[in-house]
Amino acid sequence: MAATGLGLVLLSGYWPQGMNTLALVAVSVPLALVAGGLIGILANEFPRFRAPVQAMLDVMQTGPTFAYLTPLLVLFGFGPVVGLIASAIYAAPPMARNVLLGLQRVEPEVKEAAVMSGGTRMQQLFQVEIPAAKVQIMVGVNQCLMAALSMVIIAAVIGGFDDIGWEVLLTMRKAQFGNAMLAGSVIVIFSTLIDRMSGTLAQDRRRLWDARVAYGILALGAAVSLACWSALPDAGSYQLLDPVAVALDGWLTDFTRANADLLTSFKNGIMFYVLLPLRIGLDQAILPFTWGFQWTTTMSFWFFAAAALAAVALALRGQLTLGLVVLIAAGILETGVSQLPWPLVLVGTGALAWVAGGRRLALLSVVLLASILVSGLWERALLSLYLSGASVFACAVLGGGIGLLSAVSPMAWRVVRPICDMLQTIPLFVFLIPVLMVFQIGEFSAFLAIIAYAIVPMIRYTRQGLVATPEEMIEAATASGATGWQMMRDVRAPYAAPTILLGLNQTILYAFAMLVIAALIGTTGLGQSIYLALGQADVGLGISAGAAMAILALIADRMVQGFAEERKRALGLEV
Amino acid sequence: MSASDTPAISCQNVWQVFGPNADSALKEALSQHKTASDVSEALRAQGLVPAVQDANFEVKEGELFVIMGLSGSGKSTLIRCISHLLHATHGEIRIEGEDIVSASKARLIELRRKTLGMVFQHFGLFPHMTVADNVAYPLRVQGIKRKVRRAKAQEVIELVGLAGREDHYPRELSGGQRQRVGIARSLVTDCSVWFLDEPFSALDPLIRRQLQDEFLDIQNKLKTTIVFITHDINEALKLADRIAIMRDGKIVQIGTPADIVLNPVDDYAREFSKDVAKGRHANVASVMLSPENHAYGADDPGLRRDMTLDAALARCMDLYEPVPVRDRDGSLVGVINPADLAAALQVEADHE
Repeated sequence: MAATGLGLVLLSGYWPQGMNTLALVAVSVPLALVAGGLIGILANEFPRFRAPVQAMLDVMQTGPTFAYLTPLLVLFGFGPVVGLIASAIYAAPPMARNVLLGLQRVEPEVKEAAVMSGGTRMQQLFQVEIPAAKVQIMVGVNQCLMAALSMVIIAAVIGGFDDIGWEVLLTMRKAQFGNAMLAGSVIVIFSTLIDRMSGTLAQDRRRLWDARVAYGILALGAAVSLACWSALPDAGSYQLLDPVAVALDGWLTDFTRANADLLTSFKNGIMFYVLLPLRIGLDQAILPFTWGFQWTTTMSFWFFAAAALAAVALALRGQLTLGLVVLIAAGILETGVSQLPWPLVLVGTGALAWVAGGRRLALLSVVLLASILVSGLWERALLSLYLSGASVFACAVLGGGIGLLSAVSPMAWRVVRPICDMLQTIPLFVFLIPVLMVFQIGEFSAFLAIIAYAIVPMIRYTRQGLVATPEEMIEAATASGATGWQMMRDVRAPYAAPTILLGLNQTILYAFAMLVIAALIGTTGLGQSIYLALGQADVGLGISAGAAMAILALIADRMVQGFAEERKRALGLEV
Repeated sequence: MSASDTPAISCQNVWQVFGPNADSALKEALSQHKTASDVSEALRAQGLVPAVQDANFEVKEGELFVIMGLSGSGKSTLIRCISHLLHATHGEIRIEGEDIVSASKARLIELRRKTLGMVFQHFGLFPHMTVADNVAYPLRVQGIKRKVRRAKAQEVIELVGLAGREDHYPRELSGGQRQRVGIARSLVTDCSVWFLDEPFSALDPLIRRQLQDEFLDIQNKLKTTIVFITHDINEALKLADRIAIMRDGKIVQIGTPADIVLNPVDDYAREFSKDVAKGRHANVASVMLSPENHAYGADDPGLRRDMTLDAALARCMDLYEPVPVRDRDGSLVGVINPADLAAALQVEADHE
């Protein structure tokens, strides 16, 4: 598999660029591994550090990738060094997290046995605990590699280095989608290879072949390269796949031209009926031009009356919170997210945070939001909120549905699973290419790209939660005479709720991460500000916009986690 | 026990085989081999797992039938075949005369709602429901109104002694209380066949004994047909009308508690009853001789046929001659030699 993949890379003529990228990864990953490993071990050794380390890791990971680049840009100027450092910073947290998690999960009895054997602390750590946590740590290594690769490619935006990310960006700007696709697939090949290779390390190793065979192959390869060193053509000169790129371009043009009506109506349909109302409210989105009629005050009145009725009905049935949510949702739909009055947002977020995680979370949320307000980025933040909110909502509905389907039918899962695997190994950047090809630059393309990237955790966690219902509970429900649907509604869905909420949480974080990348193809929110700041090396704007983004993600993250933990506690599960 | 002709449960040639293409493999093996052990051998050779092999037994109405065996002996699989949580690979299982292996899905749901109740080893409680909601769940799936089901649930909650805890969640209860909820839930539909899969195994010994006693009380009140799984011989002897011993998927012996203790068919069955105080579980009737052919001496220590061996032995400690055994009304039913009484307790030693 590895040979075929790399063979394709060679044939595509992107060999030198690809190797440059790998070189960057090869330098940044060890840095990240050592730093992350040390942080994880330290946090494990000194419980006092755990909380601040956790908070720091959260910020490092929720902070948008571009935001790292601006300050580094000022310190080190343009060039590969910045990408190197940025990717090391970005790749360290998953390592640290997994090391910490693995060490904490080592069975207490195992640790005690090590203590009673008379090992020093160092011996305990290196001879017992770390080996015992190996599987989890290898998961960390895998994530670290993937993160580094992804960041190195993003770092190409600041250019100055002839790597594969730069190639994608360049061809994309020139609207040579065939070539962009080709370069993109090189990235995909790399990431799949790296993922699979390091992923198998994480599983328990069975010796398939003798190690000597591997060394033999390696030696043979080295010997052949040495022997034919001078005879080998320059790797960059292979351009066998260029016709493919050209053909792809041609086919694409034909396709978009042929289906222009369908594509436009699809795009406009979603824009007019879903995205615009959310953004600027029913009030302004419904025009004769879009919906065929004019939104009037009377309509607003009836709309609110209906929402109020529904809310009252829910409240009477004991679902007060749900009723309030309906009322608030109606309000948001009427005015649109981007034009919400700021006091309302502050109060609403505070209230929601209070319900989710108590007074501290409420206070934190309000203070952080207020800091966005005073930073002057409020309107942009709301725009970002609207776009990510819309995509998260779409992900929740679509992903939840697909997850449900996969949980019910193993057949469906067999189809969905490889797609999920693929979507997760592709670096963010590459998502932009296909949507851009079909839907051109604009908010809608960004919307699609975000969904494509952020839907995966929703699907996975929904299925995981539904499938993981304990056997005995299912048997108990069956023995009670429940039908399949009753079992899903009464037992499996409530039991899966915390897991599904965690999936939603991941989806939110993914959506925010993608939002910044999507700025490359035209969004109007914070992502754009960050991108602009990068271009102008405007550290102030970059940092404040990045911080605003991180704040939004952090608040959403904490709130959903709060809800998930509350549900878990209600189920009597360990939190 | 009622005199009804149809047994409450009957199993004939029941097989449960796990593995790929178990159905066809079993069919083929059954057609080629005669004895169950040959069939199992053939299945194992193909990498399949015959978890239940050729189970045959009947449970009478109102009988408390205990299936006993070590873990992995197939007893949980067997009970799941009977309650149709697993579809038996082969054989016929009838509950109250109705073949449930070929029953439709809808009919099975109907049966579970009306006739069958089940208690699980680890309770199988729904963590997101209160005690009352858990207990009322079998009624809820039938679409019974909230008030009605609350009232019915309240009844069984009181029966199992959990009154006052209706609105607690399972996590707030102790292990014993949780299993009471499980028992209440299985009883809420007035089932006539009751399955209990190691219901007390996860509990502390003291709580276990307490629940066993309460369980017997409930059984005396309700008189349902019961299939009870356990790996604990003392529990089996205490509760059972009849016991089936399983090993490696086969039923090796079926008999009354006294049978099992006094006449184990093989070493495996003997191993089970090794640590049992036999004198407490076997009665005089199991060792006495018929009065026609045997004379007895002048002493009459007042033995009854349903006395335990321990009690009988205590009465004839210093007697050497055979003594009479009488019914409650004083009529002679048997003769027993005190030396045989002592010997019966020594079954173990004789065989070793």
